[in-house]
Amino acid sequence: MIELTGITKVLKGQSEPRTILDGVDLSVAAGQSVAIVGRSGSGKSTLLSVIGLFDRPDQGRYVLAGQDISRVPERRAAKLRSSHFGFVFQRFFLLKHLTAAQNVAMALVNGQGWLPRRERRARVMQALDQVGIAHLAKNRPAKMSGGEQQRVAIARALVRNPQVLLADEPTGALDTETGTLVIDALLGATERGCALILVTHDRDHAARMGRIHDLVDGVLTERVRA
Amino acid sequence: MMRLSGRFRSSLIIGIQGIRARKLRTLLSMVSLFLGVLAVVVVQAGASIAERALLSDLELTYGYDGTRTIGMPPEQKAADAVLTSVKGRTDAVAGISMQGIIGEPGVRPVNEGGAPIGQDWGGGQVCFADGHCEEPSGPKGAAVEVRLTALTGDIRQFRPFRTVSGTWLDFTTVPSMAPRLVLNQEAAKGFRQYQVPAEMRVRGTTANLTPRFVGVVDDGGTEPRAYVRVDELATWMPPGKLVDPNTAGEINVMLRPGSPVEQVLTAKIKAAGLETYVNDVNNREQQEDQLRLMRLVFFSMAGLVLLIGVAGILNVGLATVGERVEEFALRRAVGTPRSLLAGIVLAETLLTGLLTAAAAIGASALALKAATTLAGNTHPILDNVQFPWEAGVAGIIAGIVAGILGGFVPALRAAGIPIATVMRA
Repeated sequence: MIELTGITKVLKGQSEPRTILDGVDLSVAAGQSVAIVGRSGSGKSTLLSVIGLFDRPDQGRYVLAGQDISRVPERRAAKLRSSHFGFVFQRFFLLKHLTAAQNVAMALVNGQGWLPRRERRARVMQALDQVGIAHLAKNRPAKMSGGEQQRVAIARALVRNPQVLLADEPTGALDTETGTLVIDALLGATERGCALILVTHDRDHAARMGRIHDLVDGVLTERVRA
Repeated sequence: MMRLSGRFRSSLIIGIQGIRARKLRTLLSMVSLFLGVLAVVVVQAGASIAERALLSDLELTYGYDGTRTIGMPPEQKAADAVLTSVKGRTDAVAGISMQGIIGEPGVRPVNEGGAPIGQDWGGGQVCFADGHCEEPSGPKGAAVEVRLTALTGDIRQFRPFRTVSGTWLDFTTVPSMAPRLVLNQEAAKGFRQYQVPAEMRVRGTTANLTPRFVGVVDDGGTEPRAYVRVDELATWMPPGKLVDPNTAGEINVMLRPGSPVEQVLTAKIKAAGLETYVNDVNNREQQEDQLRLMRLVFFSMAGLVLLIGVAGILNVGLATVGERVEEFALRRAVGTPRSLLAGIVLAETLLTGLLTAAAAIGASALALKAATTLAGNTHPILDNVQFPWEAGVAGIIAGIVAGILGGFVPALRAAGIPIATVMRA
């Protein structure tokens, strides 16, 4: 599904350019779950940005589903983000004036094709059901707990049936118990064939992933499990 | 096509959600734009109403656009040719004008020369073809001089006279021995001011006539004038005396475009050794020059006010985009293209502009309705005035233009928000 080879990213615009990612190699297949752990500033979020096509690598090769997309133009990148990726962030980024269902539907109303209202609603309810909060569809974020809000964000990521789910510290703002529920919801997606790349500081959550990679000063290494 | 439609619908849906989420801000944008759009609507409405009023006055005086008028010297041969050519025709009406003095016999009228009532032209002298002139005799007395126009048919098909009181001449009945007269407002004013006997002197008649006033019309003229059926006047005139060349008489024929009367009449006039003066009425072109400059000045002022409104939308738009950086970055993260982000902002400002336009148009229409109801009787220009559709169109265009101008820079800002904003938050 995802093949990164020698990905390098250099942060420019400072007195001295700083290498954030240094020859990263990573391979993730459909249905696999991968945890990326590392200290703050180690380049975890930058790696996720490159994988999610928010950013372009300075060097290296990025192959997604057999296609080289290392230098893909922004218009195509937007289309690929819509068709292949789902994103979950530490902050939930729910729009407070919209209901849970409308927040999830936001990923469907993105200018990449058009779904009739009835079909849109069905897919939204299905996504909310997958994360166990279909009953909160009409609630606004202000009336939901942190865990519920994050699950709405996961439903938003899942509603387009992505092939890759990218989660950047999704449990960072949640207590342990709620965080576990959120990880459950994310792992549920891998059972349906979706690849999961999780950036986390939490060892327990990382341990639940199929593989763990350490990112230290831009260099990615796979941890060998005992 | 499907993709374009999807993007259009998406921007519209998200734009409406954005407006609903920020009602107060939208209202403030609308307030700043309202005066600008209102100014455009009012200027356009004022220009349209003034244009119509002006056009209406010109139509009263000169006739509807496209009417062909043929003038000719006040000669009896010309009158004979006219009467035989237009007799029984509905597409042509002739008017033969002459002096008429209504009032006490043997006195000079209060407005010699047919001057407007209250003015003294010092006229009254009659000059003949051999060059000698006669001064009017007798003292000034209870008589009013009018320009008497004898008509062969209903002239209102060419000049839309407005009936002020009474009725217009009825051409369907048999001619009356007491000629029925319809006065214009200036003539009516004379008869209101001066009590005169109902006796009319017309040069060439076999006896003084006893006219009957049947109505008063607004014919757009400032001189006293009376209209009479030519056959009712001819009853009192010997053959060949209908035209008096010595009192500045005139013969005019008004025709519908393409009327065959024109060819017949000009041939007859030419055969009589006389000339014709043909003129096509084109009031709209004539007034266009007068209105162009005025409209330009007022539209410039309205444009300035509109620009201030645009600056308001721009200001609020920029502030809103600044507040929604994370939302736009997130939308990009879920695959929304930059162009659609710009489209969302433009949709919001466009909808705001259109809502403002609707409010301004509604307010203007209500104000006009109130003005016509309250002041329609005292100000004829406001009587029966409808809100001109051109003003509505101008308001909508102003709203759209303001929405685009005010939303353009915020839209560019929104499209340029880096997607990594969500990762760094």
